[in-house]
Amino acid sequence: MPSPLTHDDPAALGPYRLIARLGSGGMGTVYLGRSPGGRTLALKTMHARIATQTEFRTRFRLESDAARVIGGRHGAQVVDADPLAETPWMATEYVIGPPLDEAVALAGPLPETTVRALGAALCGALGQLHRSDVVHRDLKPSNIMVTAYGPKVIDFGIARALGDDRLTHTGAAVGTPAFMSPEQATGQEHTPAGDVFALAGVLVFAATGRGPFGDGRPADLLYRVRYAEPDLTGVPAALAGVLARCLAKDPADRPDTEWLATQLQDGTGDFADRLPDPVLAEIGRRANEVWQVVPQRLPAPPDQPATVPSAEVPAPSGPSRRGLLMAGAGSVLGVAGAGAGVWAWLSGGGPAPGPTGPYEKPKPGPSVSALKKKKLDSLWQIQTGGTEDEESPAAPFMPGDAAVLLAPTQLYRIDPASGAVTWTADIDGTWQVASDGRNVYQNVRVAHYEHGSAFPSTVSRYLSRVDLTTGKAGKHLAEVTDPQFGGIDSQLLAVAGGTAYLAISLGKVKEYLRQNPWAVTAVDLATGSRRWTERLAFRSQKSDRNHFLAATVVGDRLLLLQERNDGTVRIVVRDTRTGKVDWDRPWDGIEPAAARQPLTADGGHLYLGSGRLRALRLSDGRQTWAAPAGTVHGVPLLKDGVVYAVQQGRGLVGTDARSGKPRWAEKGGDGARASLTSRPVIGSRCAYTYHADEGALRAIDRATRTTARLYKANGDRFTAQERGKVILASGKHFLAAFPLQ
Amino acid sequence: MQAPVAGAGGEVRGGRIGPYAVLRRLDDETRGLPVPERRFIGRSADGDRTVLVGVPLPGADPARFLAEAEASRYLLGPWSAPAAEVAAPGGAPWHARPYVPVIPLPGALAVHGGPLPERTVRALGAALVETLVIGHGQGLAHAGVSPGAVLLAADGPRLTCFGAVRAAAPDGAARSGLPGLESGSLPPEQADGGSPQPMGDVYALGATLAYAATGHTVPEREELPAALRSVLTACLARDPAARPRPAELLDALVPRTAEPAPGGPADQGRPALGPDAHGDPAGRAAAALGPGWLPGRIIAALARQSAELLATNAPVPPAAPQD
Repeated sequence: MPSPLTHDDPAALGPYRLIARLGSGGMGTVYLGRSPGGRTLALKTMHARIATQTEFRTRFRLESDAARVIGGRHGAQVVDADPLAETPWMATEYVIGPPLDEAVALAGPLPETTVRALGAALCGALGQLHRSDVVHRDLKPSNIMVTAYGPKVIDFGIARALGDDRLTHTGAAVGTPAFMSPEQATGQEHTPAGDVFALAGVLVFAATGRGPFGDGRPADLLYRVRYAEPDLTGVPAALAGVLARCLAKDPADRPDTEWLATQLQDGTGDFADRLPDPVLAEIGRRANEVWQVVPQRLPAPPDQPATVPSAEVPAPSGPSRRGLLMAGAGSVLGVAGAGAGVWAWLSGGGPAPGPTGPYEKPKPGPSVSALKKKKLDSLWQIQTGGTEDEESPAAPFMPGDAAVLLAPTQLYRIDPASGAVTWTADIDGTWQVASDGRNVYQNVRVAHYEHGSAFPSTVSRYLSRVDLTTGKAGKHLAEVTDPQFGGIDSQLLAVAGGTAYLAISLGKVKEYLRQNPWAVTAVDLATGSRRWTERLAFRSQKSDRNHFLAATVVGDRLLLLQERNDGTVRIVVRDTRTGKVDWDRPWDGIEPAAARQPLTADGGHLYLGSGRLRALRLSDGRQTWAAPAGTVHGVPLLKDGVVYAVQQGRGLVGTDARSGKPRWAEKGGDGARASLTSRPVIGSRCAYTYHADEGALRAIDRATRTTARLYKANGDRFTAQERGKVILASGKHFLAAFPLQ
Repeated sequence: MQAPVAGAGGEVRGGRIGPYAVLRRLDDETRGLPVPERRFIGRSADGDRTVLVGVPLPGADPARFLAEAEASRYLLGPWSAPAAEVAAPGGAPWHARPYVPVIPLPGALAVHGGPLPERTVRALGAALVETLVIGHGQGLAHAGVSPGAVLLAADGPRLTCFGAVRAAAPDGAARSGLPGLESGSLPPEQADGGSPQPMGDVYALGATLAYAATGHTVPEREELPAALRSVLTACLARDPAARPRPAELLDALVPRTAEPAPGGPADQGRPALGPDAHGDPAGRAAAALGPGWLPGRIIAALARQSAELLATNAPVPPAAPQD
């Protein structure tokens, strides 16, 4: 739906007068514009402050090149562009029709005939791109506009010429996990066969209303994309076989677009006749709506100056309450793209503004439900990036005075006192970052291409320390990959005592990675050498898979939680000096998702909650003590020799870590409904539990053992930043601070 | 890009009508059916306003044309097409209204490839009945309903050509065979020179709906969809008193209840009724215009017209000052 211009939108771009906004996101804004002769166009812009970076300007130019390659039949016709302007812009036709995800939301799963017609036309679109040596790399329902004459593929924000390494750099995994190809998910080059994989996923979505690998946290999705069979339930039988072939894990097993088109075509006839009524009605509505736009511009809000450098936002003194501070990080939000022809202007690669960047009110798009503007009793709150289907951030790291938040594809360094975002940095995924408590380390991917080659000649990974002042990955401390060991695919498990522990795939990538053996390895960060490498059980379809849910180092032991392909979780403890397995036992009755919590351990024991609270001896895995049978505890926290956990129906209790004897328990009954999934926080005067039902963080006076006060709060994880004397509450797109006493 | 139709004859000189540059004709395809005015899509010099413009046929009386255009300003209802702007007296006559993508009914049959589905005919009829009833309540007989006068937009019809019969010749003069008047939808009493009355609109509407359902304004009875046969035949009665009242016509087109249409078998083409479809007639027509009321190829043609006009640049205005 077009909306009025805001007071600070430009009057014109090149010869085009702006008349309305179509959408806005982290990278730029899309406008409706008009030529002197009244030709009406969609004008896509890139924020001037982003355009100062050569890389993004190059990306913008490549996108307009790709859009020209696909042309007006299969894409939005490019009319004009000026990638060199201060605010680079591209003018295209205004496309009349809803994006495919909206079409499915309106009409429900589409009939087979529609899916076939869409698929055959999309094969034509991809074929045209591939013949011009362009891969799309981000084909997904929101990038496909359904017009009355066929689908149009838009948003080439990350499409690039094959072999073009100008944009190859370390950084965020590109693409959308739900429709990503397995090779893309493992960081390898995405070829035309990857687009075929994505296309099949899009068609499964069109036929069923969900992707072939479901939804959920990106890490889980990526895992399923790589290892799980696609779920084709609900796909018409005649299509299921064809689409299954396209969803083969090995790119070489997938058909090309020409063959696929012949399989999908089922006769002739007008495309419009195959569209369900609600989609047709939406196309008709949009054909009318664009003519109702009256050029309009909103006045500057009286209570808000045009720009406020965030550095001048006054820091709160003491626990004062502030309204909702939308940090500059709002610019990584998704797109407000309800209007036709709006690109899902990818946020993933967009840098957030630095501390001196202009304050910008974020515009949550349809992919991000607007943060509830509830008044919380927080010291500050910020909204963080990501889309709706992305995971909640893991518990923040607290190196020194800072707080480092792990969003799915970005790190945020936050000043615990004010909530100010000092910097943000792109990461591959949360599983490539670890902290030893003082520093943050990152497993950085670097790809090199021979000139003209579609595939990277080498892909290397290096361990780097993240500079906590700037967010930049520092010099390469150690190479994770090498000719002998491979290691293209890896996960940084933990860093402790100058050693990084990783899971890596071994061997050179000749075939699909699933066939590669895996190992756990220890890398000395001072010398770069490998202290040991221990093979993991070979992973075939039938065997156990290696999927690490949590890892920590205690003394000489590396504690690992591994998910198996039957959905069970095992606790594996290795000797950090040799890598040998000390012991390995199942953790019965826990869901893998519930096990994604920091491990609670001391030199002698590992403490398990999320069920009956108990202590396992680190030396041999035997149970030393357990809470009385029939009790259920939440996630535990160890503090001063006491294991604190919420006991179901009772509230926060403390148990002596050595003996298992009760040491402390709250009274008064207020704790009966405390959440079991949020770790408690223990301060010097108060202990804290979260109550999801009431939306409250409850402070319990440790001396009187009764409720001291309630804070209106929200979040999944609550973590103490002891030096800053705050509790950080993190949730989806959300970080807030509460006083720690 | 579609080349604008410049100098398309008659009063349209230099590709301009009044202040508007002509982008194209509206009536590319009328299948030989007369239309009482010439219609164009035009655009203002600043490019911001795109309009539907009408000018009289060559040889028509400009004063009568302008008088009807002036009266049409007062038409109400979502599916009427009041003039928003009328040429100043003394100059070349024209009237204009804001553009929405539309296809004249004959063009819609051409695009669809034949008669329209019964559901479309019923929804169209309901909206037109309602529009006529509003006019009749204002004391305005439309006197210009014909297939060419009905434009289809995505959200419902637009009934144009208000007063075409009155403009063609004064009362008392025979009107048969006059340019622009489609003989099948001209009520016999008006053809004989009678003053247009509301029941004449019912006749013309019957002929127009018959056209939508069969491709002819004077169909064989058997050609009509069975469920609509008796009511459309009744509309075409020579005796105005024998024609159905508009309310009866609405009931026949969009039944009040979920029961089958009167005189017809259980009927799949019957439009879905909204929750408020039982009381307010306006609600019944609006409910009938829900998703699916227009066939896909007509929606596609509307979207194409919209896209083409969005992509059209008006010719550069002449250097001479406009005012």
